[in-house]
Amino acid sequence: MHIPDAFIPIWQGAIYWIIALVFIALALRWARNEMSEEKIPLIAVVAAGIFALQSFNLPVSMGTSGHLVGGALAAIILGSPFAAIFILTLVLIVQGVLFGDGGITTMGANIINMGVIGGFVGFYSFKGLMAATGNVNIAAFIAAWLACVIPALACAVEMYFAGTFPLNEGLVAMGLYHALIGVIEGFVTVVAIRLIVAARPDIVDFKIEFPAAKGVDV
Amino acid sequence: MIEDLFFIEKQAYRESLMHRLDARVKIILAFAVIIAIVAVPYSIMVYTVGATFFLFFLILWAVSKLPLSVYGKRLVAIVPIWGIIILFQIFFKNKYYTDYHVLYTLPLGISIYTESVEFASILAVKFLISISFIILLSSTTKMQDLLQGASRLGLPAEIALALGMMIRYLFVFGYIFRKVNETLKTKCFDAFDRHLPYRYRLRQLGYTIGTMFIRSYEQGERVYTSMLCRGYGRESHLFITKKPLRGFEWAFLIISLTFIIAVPVTIWLTALRFF
Repeated sequence: MHIPDAFIPIWQGAIYWIIALVFIALALRWARNEMSEEKIPLIAVVAAGIFALQSFNLPVSMGTSGHLVGGALAAIILGSPFAAIFILTLVLIVQGVLFGDGGITTMGANIINMGVIGGFVGFYSFKGLMAATGNVNIAAFIAAWLACVIPALACAVEMYFAGTFPLNEGLVAMGLYHALIGVIEGFVTVVAIRLIVAARPDIVDFKIEFPAAKGVDV
Repeated sequence: MIEDLFFIEKQAYRESLMHRLDARVKIILAFAVIIAIVAVPYSIMVYTVGATFFLFFLILWAVSKLPLSVYGKRLVAIVPIWGIIILFQIFFKNKYYTDYHVLYTLPLGISIYTESVEFASILAVKFLISISFIILLSSTTKMQDLLQGASRLGLPAEIALALGMMIRYLFVFGYIFRKVNETLKTKCFDAFDRHLPYRYRLRQLGYTIGTMFIRSYEQGERVYTSMLCRGYGRESHLFITKKPLRGFEWAFLIISLTFIIAVPVTIWLTALRFF
């Protein structure tokens, strides 16, 4: 999902960068107002942790592997889509500049896909599903699945606009692959949230107790 | 990816003229090349521009005294996924060509087009040049120097502070990641072991990821508290000393930037005159 340089023309990359910068500014404002500016270092250290947990290979099928994006997890636990934008912006800068995973001219598009779309979709679908079902497992699973699939579809659409991949094939390939990975992301996110609620309920923004969380087998 | 963290930083600690060059010069050069190669239209002009930039990269790599195997190793870690997507281009038509000629027809009516092969190669050249300069930048510049260089170039103070904290703790989590993996191995747990139920494997990974999240949060809390003890507050920011570029660095930067701009412009003008 990390679009590298060359896959998006420079002018389109510039537009995505401008949109991303608006959301980065909003995320910084959120960090100042909601978290108090002093807590920025805390979020930065969590970003390093998210970077590390993205390195765990998750078995998909037929020997292939994927990894967690973590946007939904961060947004749900920290209680704001802007948390995901802030954290994933830091992660994507490090990945792009140090590891070459995701481009420089395409970083705006990547921030929009994984941070903005992933964060907003993950957070608000979780909130909506919680209101509708009251079940954290279902809400977190579907939210994490959507936060994985929809950014992937957005990535396919951006590459179609760029003229570097046809729309139908892109939507089918990205949609199917990430629908599969999304199931794993959803499952792992639910297990991770259950563990976090059991071990550190004070850091979780949504105030819900899991009946089964008391007996999590770690 | 975090496994490569130590390898990349180890290369950045080597000694060479390229390593000693101010981070600002390297950041500007790498970004300028990437913007220049991406800005070149999807046309065969990219071949000449790409070849010239790759020669420039090879010279800088030679100056850095880094073995080519380092470049190869890092390239192999990045290229495969997007390499496949570039390869798939040969089967698709795109908006950059109007006429398509079938080069080869495969079973099931799948065709390979001459123009699509050309487009895939153009994309590959642009991708390779961009990645090469990112590899050069990160292999010759320590992470802390990169951050200081970016700050001196005008990176907002809040982002610089957050990135600085993140970079510092990346290594801590790199070690934790290693430890967790070793622990899982000593317990004979393999996430890809088909003898274990799939659900069980995912649950264990979920707990591991949850633990990692809690550890990072708790580390963040400890860091935050210790920073408060040292007087950290709303007005605090990362202290970056002023460091003017040396004469040699100015000269290198100006000559290189002129070269990076002149190459695509000259080739474009030449193409206009002759075709």
